[in-house]
Amino acid sequence: MPTGTVRPLSPEDFARTERFLAAVRQRVATVIVGQDIVVERLLIALFTGGHLLLQGVPGLAKTLLVSVLSRSIDLAFARVQFTIDLLPSDILGSEVLDPRTSDFRVRKGPVFTNLLLADEINRAAPKVQGALLEAMQERKVTIGNETFKLPAPFLVIATQNPVEQAGTFELPEAQLDRFMLVHRLGYPEHDEEREILVRNAALGIRREDKGAIARTEFDVLEKEPVGSTEEIVSTMEAVHQVHVSETFVEHVVDAVKRTRVHPAVELGCSPRAGISLIKASRARALIRGRHYVIPEDLFALAEDVMLHRMRLKYEAIADGTNGRDVLHEILRSLGGGAGGSGSSSSNGA
Amino acid sequence: MNRFVLVVLSMISPLVALARTPPESAVGMAGRIEQIVLPGAELVPVAADAKSKVVLRVLAVYPHGSAFRYDLEFVGLEPGSYDLREFLVRKNGSPIAAGDLPPIPVTIHSVLPPGQVLPHPLERGDAPHVGGYKTLGIAAGVVWAAGLVAILFYRRQRSAEAIARSTKPATLADRLKPLVEQAIAGTLPAPQCASLELSLVTLWRRRLGLEDRDPAEALTILRAHAEAGPLLTGLETWLHRPPEQSSVDLVALLAPYRNLPPEALDAPVRAGASSGT
Repeated sequence: MPTGTVRPLSPEDFARTERFLAAVRQRVATVIVGQDIVVERLLIALFTGGHLLLQGVPGLAKTLLVSVLSRSIDLAFARVQFTIDLLPSDILGSEVLDPRTSDFRVRKGPVFTNLLLADEINRAAPKVQGALLEAMQERKVTIGNETFKLPAPFLVIATQNPVEQAGTFELPEAQLDRFMLVHRLGYPEHDEEREILVRNAALGIRREDKGAIARTEFDVLEKEPVGSTEEIVSTMEAVHQVHVSETFVEHVVDAVKRTRVHPAVELGCSPRAGISLIKASRARALIRGRHYVIPEDLFALAEDVMLHRMRLKYEAIADGTNGRDVLHEILRSLGGGAGGSGSSSSNGA
Repeated sequence: MNRFVLVVLSMISPLVALARTPPESAVGMAGRIEQIVLPGAELVPVAADAKSKVVLRVLAVYPHGSAFRYDLEFVGLEPGSYDLREFLVRKNGSPIAAGDLPPIPVTIHSVLPPGQVLPHPLERGDAPHVGGYKTLGIAAGVVWAAGLVAILFYRRQRSAEAIARSTKPATLADRLKPLVEQAIAGTLPAPQCASLELSLVTLWRRRLGLEDRDPAEALTILRAHAEAGPLLTGLETWLHRPPEQSSVDLVALLAPYRNLPPEALDAPVRAGASSGT
């Protein structure tokens, strides 16, 4: 069993983690309406050390969500708006000449934080994207002759606007693969949208200097965190103690393999997809109050973990096929016959 | 009386002139006889062919009392003396008797000195292909296309038969039965446990008409179903919980799926069992 060497979760650990997660979600809910799935994906990324790319149109509270999460858990937070003229040193940091000592001094960039919101990552030039993605992968940054480790936990939440593609640099598959999850944000439901409007209308104005400005949701964020970095660490440990059965591993291997042999797929999922799927499933199981993963975790997370790691053939795209349909077809076919290991073995059973 | 004499003289005078000096022409050059009055019905030239030595044309015809007056043009193809009567026929098809027409002599002479080398006579060649090159090309194209269609049709038929022979998929019932038996016997290896679990999920998705739904959504619906829900929970306990917590009565759990006939897989669910949907 994959978790055979890991100490199982004690009921006390489990209860403590549950309390912590509930407090965080409650704090997030004070300013964010709905978006339960996004909050869950953020927590999954945070507890598994992965990175998250949010695809969605502007105005869906992505920045607010990351801000409230960072403040809920006492994490350092930085936001970088990616633009075409951004330089790698604007993110990583640079050496500056100190006129008093005539020596070069390292000025660390915004990447030295716990939660980094990389807004509209596809607007920056590829060398900037490359610099950030390298830092995400290696979790260290070299400035001048010195190498600095990034703080832990370190989580990059990047956003991408899927509609305005002019003047953008699309992330190549190899770099997208560094994001553990790519979540596609949708618009809120009817009731949620009404609640957002009601809450916003009640915010009022804030006096400042001699004038006043309209208050935003950022103004009502509570500054007192509900969890500490230590609690994150213990939750991360708890995630690693979530039981993963051999059967679940078979499901994951089968799903990943089927992406490589599907006739509409040119580039299937890498083994990293399988690894990410298991990690994310463990975190989801813990967030959902289980200490073992089940197929539902796989099905729920497959789109966020696998879809950005698949590239369709031109012929399939020309035929109007999209990746989501192909992935759902693959998931529906699991356990249904041709394609994966489970099916081949079943014949012999 | 005088009038009659004038008519006779007008008829005789050209003939007299012809008898005296027959018109001449060189080979290939046109010669003309104009205003010649020939008695009887209208005359037309005989159609020329490859063997004709003289080609005769009637340039103009004028009524002339009971006769006709003609402007004739002749082209001699071989030197010699000819009587143009031989190249005339009645337009109405009536025969020309021996004394009906006066002689119309012409002389064709050669400009070249005698003793010229003559070209070989033309010989009849082989008949060309029916319809010529274009038809031949179209026929070849049709044959080629027909051959191609035949080859494609034959190969497709063969490959379809081969696929049907080689990959005839086992039905869900075929796959499920041995998996269930092995699971109950406790001899089912892990990869096949995965297959069993998802085969049962597929079975219930099919039964509840959830095959086109998002797999995660379908699983949520199945979990709330009165029959499928306990099955899924039991399977999760057996397959996914840590070993020390995974005790399940497999015989009872899988009993409904032991000897399931193929048609039962698609059978509609009992009315009372679909509370969760």
